[in-house]
Amino acid sequence: MEVFNPLLNGFMNSLSLVNLVACFTGALVGTIIGVLPGLGPTVTLALMLPFTFKFGPTAGLIMMAGVWYGAMYGGSTTSILVNIPGEAASVVTCIDGYQMCKKGRSGAALALVAIGSFVAGTIGIVGLQFFAPLLGKAALAFGPPEYLAVMILAFVLLSNLSGEHPIKGAAMTFLGLFVSSIGMNPLDSYPRFTFGSEKLLMGIDFLPLAMGLFGVSEILNIAIEKHPDQEYRKIRFRELYPTREETRRSVGPILRGSVLGFFVGLLPGPCNVLSTFISYAVEKKVSKTPEEFGKGAVEGVVGPESANNSAVMGAMIPLLTLGIPFAAPSAVMLAGLRMHNVEPGPMLFTNTPEMFWTFIAAMYIGNLMLLILNLPLVGLFGRIAVIRPAIIMPPISLICLIGVYSVRNSMFDVWIMIISGLIGYFLRKWKFPIAPFIIGVVLAPTMENSVRQSLMLFKGNPLLIVGRPVAMTLLAVAIAFILYQIVSSLLGKKIEFQGEEPG
Amino acid sequence: MTKDRAASLLFLCTGVYGFVFSVQLPMGRWNEPGPGVFPITLSLLLLIFGAAWFIRGKGRAREGGEGERAERFAFVKNLATPLKIVAITALLILAFNRVGYLIASTLYLFILLLWVSRYRVIVSAALAVAIGVGSWYFFAKILVVQLPQGFLPF
Repeated sequence: MEVFNPLLNGFMNSLSLVNLVACFTGALVGTIIGVLPGLGPTVTLALMLPFTFKFGPTAGLIMMAGVWYGAMYGGSTTSILVNIPGEAASVVTCIDGYQMCKKGRSGAALALVAIGSFVAGTIGIVGLQFFAPLLGKAALAFGPPEYLAVMILAFVLLSNLSGEHPIKGAAMTFLGLFVSSIGMNPLDSYPRFTFGSEKLLMGIDFLPLAMGLFGVSEILNIAIEKHPDQEYRKIRFRELYPTREETRRSVGPILRGSVLGFFVGLLPGPCNVLSTFISYAVEKKVSKTPEEFGKGAVEGVVGPESANNSAVMGAMIPLLTLGIPFAAPSAVMLAGLRMHNVEPGPMLFTNTPEMFWTFIAAMYIGNLMLLILNLPLVGLFGRIAVIRPAIIMPPISLICLIGVYSVRNSMFDVWIMIISGLIGYFLRKWKFPIAPFIIGVVLAPTMENSVRQSLMLFKGNPLLIVGRPVAMTLLAVAIAFILYQIVSSLLGKKIEFQGEEPG
Repeated sequence: MTKDRAASLLFLCTGVYGFVFSVQLPMGRWNEPGPGVFPITLSLLLLIFGAAWFIRGKGRAREGGEGERAERFAFVKNLATPLKIVAITALLILAFNRVGYLIASTLYLFILLLWVSRYRVIVSAALAVAIGVGSWYFFAKILVVQLPQGFLPF
């Protein structure tokens, strides 16, 4: 398979000033916002979307990816230093990370996490570089029934993994799909639920919804929560050096976490959160000293952190090859790409391969940038981590307002953001997962097209799907999963993923 | 009303709304579905899942008892702050076109910094002006965003 020449060209393109600036800005801003408690990768990506307009589509994609894994790294800082997870994927890091901090090893923990994230990111990019074009080629044979089946399976898994109850996840998915059906219909431009309003004719834009549901609702949440003042402990540069023993013990967990995270990232749902829990369990299982877990075991910090960074790259595969996001941050990425008139999917590799390879090359550079940035700036990030969230809330709310307004100069969008922010606040309080809703919104046009085109293809007989083995298999897996859930629920052995909504 | 039942009403109402207006859309035929098929299917699914959650919420309310009531009380007690923030933000949006970005955003920041962040008046005022002017410069001059001017010449 020809990989090296396009990759070399990608490096030539990504070393342009614009792409380097985009990469650096994304990684830096992603890390800074990710450090702030409560503001995870989805909020950060949504906040940064309007700013990517200043760059082209390639640089915009690079910037968004930089933001994403910058935010993933940033989340670990608060977990280690102040025992507050910056986002859901860093919850596990609190367990042993904070214990290491209490033992005076916070500098070493942060340095090893930075190195682990770099290694995991690199392994993830290698995986993305090899698997994405292969899957992209295979996806060229996909027709509307196969796309529909992939989406149904994704929604079934997402509904089950995203919240405390599958009914809540499913209801949120349908609500997201329904909201997106407002406006002109994608196949024949027929207006629906517009009541003659010109503003509704173009539908409800994704960005105000995402900013409202993730950003504004988080701001409202921050405003009522009591955050005790955290003490900042200064970290000196020499404290960043891990001991030989700590380094030796970290190698295995970093490599295991990287590979595991990449494959978990391919699954629908909060894959990065899931990858950290699995990695922690695996490390505890394979450890010769499992009794140290919970008391500051370095394996319990670097394994999960490597896994969540690698999962980001795994999650890019379904997004780039099928155009189907399996997690909330990928849904925001997809919306961002569409705003730049880029439609990811199998055709991305044939129509604009240079964009894909520039993106891959920029990821290598961005990953290195993140490592160079993270080590010397650990002290600064530590200071940001102890800022009271109520202090940064006003400027963030202003950024949300202007960010949404600046895209279409529309006050209507700002109102949509505020209303969805208030609804999002209630839904979060009532423990309804937001991710299925947002993925439903972004996938609704593709899903509707697939439903209608499949029915046309089968001449109105949905049973003809048996003649499509790929679609049939995917649907069978989805049905089996639903049946398994029902049966295990009836038997009282319901499996519930109690992970938090990725922010 | 319990939180589960309140939430289920959101889905039930959306389902009813969707159904009522979807039936007015062309449905087409099985081999050539019209624009009404997708929303009407979703409306029905919303009604089914909303009803399922409503019924489940009824059972949980009976089981929850005191705990559920205490949780509801805490939720309602905490509701004032987010509603006030939304109200202030709504006022900012309404004032945006009349007084312009610079004044509206500075006032907005001042109120939030004073009231939510609990800074002293002088600190809130200084920060509001600094962030207001700084953000105006960043968005209007560097990113060249067309911000409402209001009665100001810039």
